[in-house]
Amino acid sequence: MRRLMTILLVAALAAGALWTLGRRREPAVEPGGMSVSQALGGVPQTGFARAVAPRAFRFPADHGPHPEYKTEWWYFTGNLADSAGRRFGYQLTFFRMALAPGEPPRSSRWATNQAYMAHFALTDVNGRRFSSAERFSRAALGLAGAGGVPLEVFLEDWSARETKGAPWSVRLRAAQGSGALDLELVSAQPVVLNGERGLSRKGPEPGNASYYYSIPRLATRGTLSVGGERFQVTGTSWLDREWSTSALSGDQAGWDWFALQLKDGRDLMYYQLRKKDGSADPFSAGTLVAADGSAKPLTRDQVRLVPTGWWKSPHDGARYPAGWRLSVPGEGIALEVVPRLSDQELLTSFRYWEGAVAVKGEGGAELGSGYLEMTGYQPGGAGVGR
Amino acid sequence: MILLRAGLRNLVRHPWQAVLTVLGVALGVAVVTAVDLANQTAQRAFKIAAETVAGRATHHIVGGPTGLPEELYRTIRVGRHFRNCAPVVSADVRVAGRSGTTLQLVGLDPFAEPPLRSFSSRFANGDVLATLMTRPESVLLAAGTARQLGLRVGDRFRIELAGKSPEVLLAGLLEAPDQVTRLGLESLMVTDIASAQELTGRLGRLSRIDLVLPEGDAGSRILAELRPLLPPEATLLPAGARAGSLEQMTRAFRLNLTALSLLALVVGMFLIYNTMVFSVIRRRRLIGLLRAVGVTRREVLWQLLSEALVVGLAGTLAGLALGSLMGQELTRLVTRTINDLYFVVEVRSVPLMPQTLVKGGLLGVLATLAAALPPALEATGAPPRAVLGRSFLEARSRRLMPYAVVTAGVVLLAGFLVLRVEAWGIAGSFAGLFALIVGYALLVPAGVVLLARALRPVLGGLFGTIGRMAARGVLISLSRTGVAAAALVVAVSATIGVGIMVGSFRLTVTSWLESWLRADLYLTSAVEADARRRPPLPPALVERLSRLPGALTSVTRRVTLPTAAGPVEVFAAQVPESTFLSYRFKEGSPREAWESFSRGDALLVSEPYSYRHKLHRGGRVTLPTRLGPRSFPVAGVFYDYGSDQGIVMMSRAGYLRFWEDPGVDGMGFYAGPGVTRDRLAQEIRARVGNERVRLVSNAELRQNTVAIFDRTFAITGVLRILTMIVAFVGILSALMAMQVERARELAVLRALGLTPGQVWGVVTGETLLIGLAAGLLSLPLGVLQALVLIFVVNLRSFGWTMEPYLDPKLLIQAVLLSLAAAFLAGIYPSLKIARLSPALALKEEE
Repeated sequence: MRRLMTILLVAALAAGALWTLGRRREPAVEPGGMSVSQALGGVPQTGFARAVAPRAFRFPADHGPHPEYKTEWWYFTGNLADSAGRRFGYQLTFFRMALAPGEPPRSSRWATNQAYMAHFALTDVNGRRFSSAERFSRAALGLAGAGGVPLEVFLEDWSARETKGAPWSVRLRAAQGSGALDLELVSAQPVVLNGERGLSRKGPEPGNASYYYSIPRLATRGTLSVGGERFQVTGTSWLDREWSTSALSGDQAGWDWFALQLKDGRDLMYYQLRKKDGSADPFSAGTLVAADGSAKPLTRDQVRLVPTGWWKSPHDGARYPAGWRLSVPGEGIALEVVPRLSDQELLTSFRYWEGAVAVKGEGGAELGSGYLEMTGYQPGGAGVGR
Repeated sequence: MILLRAGLRNLVRHPWQAVLTVLGVALGVAVVTAVDLANQTAQRAFKIAAETVAGRATHHIVGGPTGLPEELYRTIRVGRHFRNCAPVVSADVRVAGRSGTTLQLVGLDPFAEPPLRSFSSRFANGDVLATLMTRPESVLLAAGTARQLGLRVGDRFRIELAGKSPEVLLAGLLEAPDQVTRLGLESLMVTDIASAQELTGRLGRLSRIDLVLPEGDAGSRILAELRPLLPPEATLLPAGARAGSLEQMTRAFRLNLTALSLLALVVGMFLIYNTMVFSVIRRRRLIGLLRAVGVTRREVLWQLLSEALVVGLAGTLAGLALGSLMGQELTRLVTRTINDLYFVVEVRSVPLMPQTLVKGGLLGVLATLAAALPPALEATGAPPRAVLGRSFLEARSRRLMPYAVVTAGVVLLAGFLVLRVEAWGIAGSFAGLFALIVGYALLVPAGVVLLARALRPVLGGLFGTIGRMAARGVLISLSRTGVAAAALVVAVSATIGVGIMVGSFRLTVTSWLESWLRADLYLTSAVEADARRRPPLPPALVERLSRLPGALTSVTRRVTLPTAAGPVEVFAAQVPESTFLSYRFKEGSPREAWESFSRGDALLVSEPYSYRHKLHRGGRVTLPTRLGPRSFPVAGVFYDYGSDQGIVMMSRAGYLRFWEDPGVDGMGFYAGPGVTRDRLAQEIRARVGNERVRLVSNAELRQNTVAIFDRTFAITGVLRILTMIVAFVGILSALMAMQVERARELAVLRALGLTPGQVWGVVTGETLLIGLAAGLLSLPLGVLQALVLIFVVNLRSFGWTMEPYLDPKLLIQAVLLSLAAAFLAGIYPSLKIARLSPALALKEEE
């Protein structure tokens, strides 16, 4: 799915660090100054491992980092509610990025080839509030990093730490300003491998692929702080894990990614890669997980996806779809995906929309919850990163 | 209108004189402008560099001699969730093969930078960040700096730091968001913090942590929270404190330069005054006639002043142009001195600073008008008939002489009194000095009279009538000769005063070095750097060398400790008792101080430190140590001419105990009995192996130190020469004008039968006499100035006492200078007279 994430990551890392460096008199990175192709140079750097064939996943080891690949992420999202039924959404994401292959021995403890970026967003549905924050750090000196068994990934005081091997459980902690979360996630399902046994192809060239697995349901319990108020919450989270050394084909404008947990026990993941001409890339794909945990890949031809309206960002004028009609006729699925709050745009160096959504049926009955990510809608056209 | 034309005519008819006057003003203004430009440029470069590096930081956490532990940064950022902070590892680096280029290496964590600094290359391609972090020893330079060094992105070049000479890669260029930042960036070499640690060898340590705290209570709360985290030797300083204290360091130095440049302007003013006096005298008849036909005083006054203004403007404009040119060179000298004495500052371009030009311009014009006012008032104040008569003027100046002497006495007394008020500081000392100069200048005409009278029989005996005529000529034209001589005296005495001061200082330093440097051989790191920035020697080498058989060794370490009151330089030394006993003390004695000093319980402060901090034997100094702030008793005050900020000296035992820094940056070796210096040097070299160190003999080190001394006074020497040139031009123009003005009188002499040679004799005799008188009269004033410079100005500026030393060569030089100028001044009028037929000359004037 988020194949452009690679680019996003490079661009955002560089742009984020440098935009802020030059921020005093510069409004942002100069338009066109950080084009995607410039950031990636078009060709992946040699020296990194690539996802060429399906691999034998081993857990819990594969929950940990794979530094031989250029990029990797741990993507936690979830819909939560307190005992009074007040609804919340959260996103806590850690991105790892190798600046150069290998890790040559150096004497300074600051030296590293790995950098981390993290995004943290909270949605207070009833309070109609959304906040987002980002952080960057080098993976050195205990400022950021990731370890395998048990899993630990952190950027300063934002972290995801494994607390139990079976069922696999993880504790998330993050705080920024008056927003904070401290959640315990317990997987309610085994790992789901997306694509071809976990190999998610992004293009026709061999190696232009990623390793991609999800845990669509993690029972979640803990505390949230929003605007200084603390809430005891419970709900369901979704974990997406992906690592790759992908190249860029250059004609994508962005993508729309859906992670939906249905009340009937099924989970649906689907990503649509949008080309610059607005059409969906043939490599758009998804996974449908049955209530028993069995997974079935979905291709573009099986899925119909139409925006139901448009929302204009008051922050930057970007026009995002205000909702989607998603149907998988072969599976008897016909859904409306409706944001729980229209403004869930992350005001980070790289801007995108990611937020909690309600899943509704034809008659408006609520069929489930989920998270929706939409990128590439920034003014100025097709460029993903500016 | 007629007046204006008369004035113009006057200029055209005496082009040489006009040129010389304009030149005099120009030189005076040029010197002031150039010095101001140099001062401002150096100061500005430093300030901007400091501000660029500090960015938006409101506070800095700085460590002891070895910096801060890097874990502190993580504790603050992650442990305490205070994220508006950034680590910095910085050091001075030299670009190899370019001895003049010193840059500040700044190691940063680009990811922590956002709240702090506005500079950065905005990395036109995203690879630069990756390169900076992943390729060790990749650095960024400002585009201008790279151009100056002839480097392109991707080039490798060598730098020198920490005793090594590593090769670095120019990975990219720093692009400044604005002009000011661009200037600041020019003295920086930015690198990733990991590379900075590796290059400087300071693994695990940070130079400082920059913080951006909110204002008010919120900031104070965070400060209170952070304070307990700091290791004892760390200090929390508000931003700007460091830059401010460094700026303060050079204040005295800059003030002295400005004062010296003003001296050149004062000399220039005398010159203008003199010129105006002549231009008035020459036209006294015209002025008298105009006044007689009804032109008002005011009109005449305005006319004369506007004439002065024209001269002043022309001179000032030329002076500003010349000053801007000279400023380039002076800036180089000033920054070199600041680099030698104070801190690294790199100036790549000398911009024309409007305020400097305005200052120089105003000063030039106002000085001209001020100097022109008295003669103009005199010419317009007298009744028309009196103005017509020249004898009136001469009679009046003789009549006024007693008043001048009384005024001189009062001004001199006032000068002495001002000098005694210590509270008035450096400015007061210069005010007093200027009062002495002016008072003395008022005495000069009387002095000339006395000398001319005394010399008349001598000249008569030597040259007969011609000699007597020359002596008489000086006396009867006192209204002009007096002023010319006074200008000459002021100019020449200034060169004597500064000369004696520098000579005394040099001698004092030389003899101090003898008591201070006692070892036979000294070993330091091979990196070209002064004592304050010397990197430590490799510990293994120190270990090897400290057990050298047949030799005593001393080890030293010089570090700068940051304190809230500014940086304190600490010199930690382990020296043999015999060496310590040879140190010269101002307060206390080495014998009494030795015991507590060697134990590390007490310390010594240098004379400037004692002066600056009003600290004496028995007082206490508080220093930030590893065990927290610690107060040490002062066991004595010793003479030291190495730093005008003053140093604190402590034994190595104490330093190790309180700072736990085993670093050694200098070693001294004393040959034991029966060991020659060469043998000792061989032994040392054998143990040095491949380490890059420098072994110098006592004599060489002394020579080097004196060479640095000379270098730092190069700027003073240049100013002295410039003042001399102004003086020379002044004398030349004054005496020449005097003689030209006498053309008719000389023609009469020719008509009476004197040969051109004899007229030349009269003219030259007269100018030489004035030159001689002025030369001789400048000697006491010169010595007086030297004494004031040594005992008042220098003491208040730098806290140094020095032994006055009078080099007779300087006095002879001064007299010769005035004689040479006088002699040259006589040539042109004599030639002119010789060429003209007496009849023509008689008709021509008046």
